[in-house]
Amino acid sequence: MGFFEFVLLTFLVVCALAASFSKNLLTSIVIFMSYSVIMSIIWIILESPDLAITEAAVGAGVTSVLFFITLKKIHAMKGEKEDEQTKK
Amino acid sequence: MSRQRSNYENTLWRKFERWVNGEDNSSMEASEKHEEKIQRISKEQQQDVVDFEATAEDVNELISKEKKRKIEALYRKYENWPQTKGIKIFTGLYRAMAVILCACIIALLLITVSYLPEFGNANNPANNEVPERYIENGIEETGAVNFVAGMILDYRAFDTLGESHVLFIAACCVLILLRADKKKEDKKKEQKKNITCVVADGNDRIYEPKNDKILQKIAFILVPPIIIYGIYVVLNGHLSPGGGFSGGAIIGAGLILYTNAFGFKKTSEFFTYKTFSTVTVCSLLFYAGAKSYSFYTGANHLESHIPKGIPGNILSSGLILPLNIAVGLIVACTMYGFYSLFRKGGM
Amino acid sequence: MGDWLRFIVAAIFIIGGLIVSGIATFGLFKFKFVLNRMHAAAMNDTLAILFVLLGLIVVVGFDFISLKLLLIILFLWFASPVASHLIARLEVAVDKDVKDECEGVK
Repeated sequence: MGFFEFVLLTFLVVCALAASFSKNLLTSIVIFMSYSVIMSIIWIILESPDLAITEAAVGAGVTSVLFFITLKKIHAMKGEKEDEQTKK
Repeated sequence: MSRQRSNYENTLWRKFERWVNGEDNSSMEASEKHEEKIQRISKEQQQDVVDFEATAEDVNELISKEKKRKIEALYRKYENWPQTKGIKIFTGLYRAMAVILCACIIALLLITVSYLPEFGNANNPANNEVPERYIENGIEETGAVNFVAGMILDYRAFDTLGESHVLFIAACCVLILLRADKKKEDKKKEQKKNITCVVADGNDRIYEPKNDKILQKIAFILVPPIIIYGIYVVLNGHLSPGGGFSGGAIIGAGLILYTNAFGFKKTSEFFTYKTFSTVTVCSLLFYAGAKSYSFYTGANHLESHIPKGIPGNILSSGLILPLNIAVGLIVACTMYGFYSLFRKGGM
Repeated sequence: MGDWLRFIVAAIFIIGGLIVSGIATFGLFKFKFVLNRMHAAAMNDTLAILFVLLGLIVVVGFDFISLKLLLIILFLWFASPVASHLIARLEVAVDKDVKDECEGVK
């Protein structure tokens, strides 16, 4: 295992821990996005570009967009919440 | 009948049974203890009565008041037990059990990993005759230069059929859960119009930059290349890395960008619920039909009449190219369908 | 001689890109307000990536791959400024204390 792989794998573990331990849901989704980007780089290193393309498009793109919409639907984003409180 | 133990009410089993049946254990216990206490107190009282028969009634009253106060304090103590101490004990136990379970699973996985063969070793059990055959005869048998496409859409096409069905079923579940009822929505809109005039469509675009000129111009330039790139990835699935899943996801992302820039009104001109259902169902049916043809010929040792073509050309590798297109259509429709269902509960 | 020249030019480009990227990341953590931070992050997406990809183009030489890299640069220079524009517009729309962050507007 080379130095680059080692750095990537440690970063992957750090990202996973940070995503599960962060208090704000929005930050944890952004960290999850970076997690899947690193995962796609690891797929390229493991010589499976098919999976890398799918991971980058689905994991980093579409899934996080769906997460963002869900957060918006349940009013978990910070700015909106404050505005609603002021409205009421 | 089996004989009952005399102190059956106080046994652990009886308590457990009561807890299972949902009878409030703590209050029952409390009431039992009350009764004991009351009995004791009344006995003492009787003794008192025996000792001092001549005492006046007001003493009796005093004693009964004290008794009442004691009983009330006891009641309060036992009624508040689940709220005060019980939850603390439960959360503590829960955390301890969670930590223990996590540690056990991690230990199990680490032990399993230590028994795995070395990564990338040539003598691993994964490198047996199966991948050898794929690598040696793959191009001849499937006609696809990209081994992975040849594997997932020719040798193991049945698995891919299942995967596309998983996507289809997921889309169906999201439809069932999130699709807004049209009549109800109309009623709601009318009510809202009566109350307030300003209603952003779908009520979730209040803060978003709507009708942004810069975004619209850039989307006008960028969306066609993105979709063309997705189509390129789908069509080149048997020649280069990519294929139905990744290309479909790219096309879906392009459609999502288009919706974000121009709104649902413009997308519904070419992509409605009807197109979604027809496209997904037709491509799934085509996939199943095409693959059942090759299963039929393969199982009965018949000659397949689908030309393989020269490996390396775009029009080659038999069924893989149309199957890739079908999978790409399903994935693109599902991605965009998910997005619009999450966003406004319809298409 | 030609190889050496190419290597030096590519190294200068890539190191310049890395320096710009480092400055942008530093600014991302240093600035306090959202608009400032957005400006720093947008620098990372455009200028740093332009330098790094230009260095890679010089390494590869004029080829089909370098054409693809040019297309990636074009795509990023279209997409990234628009993304930061949208973030800025959302921030201005949502944040009510935005005037405290801006020095010029009063």
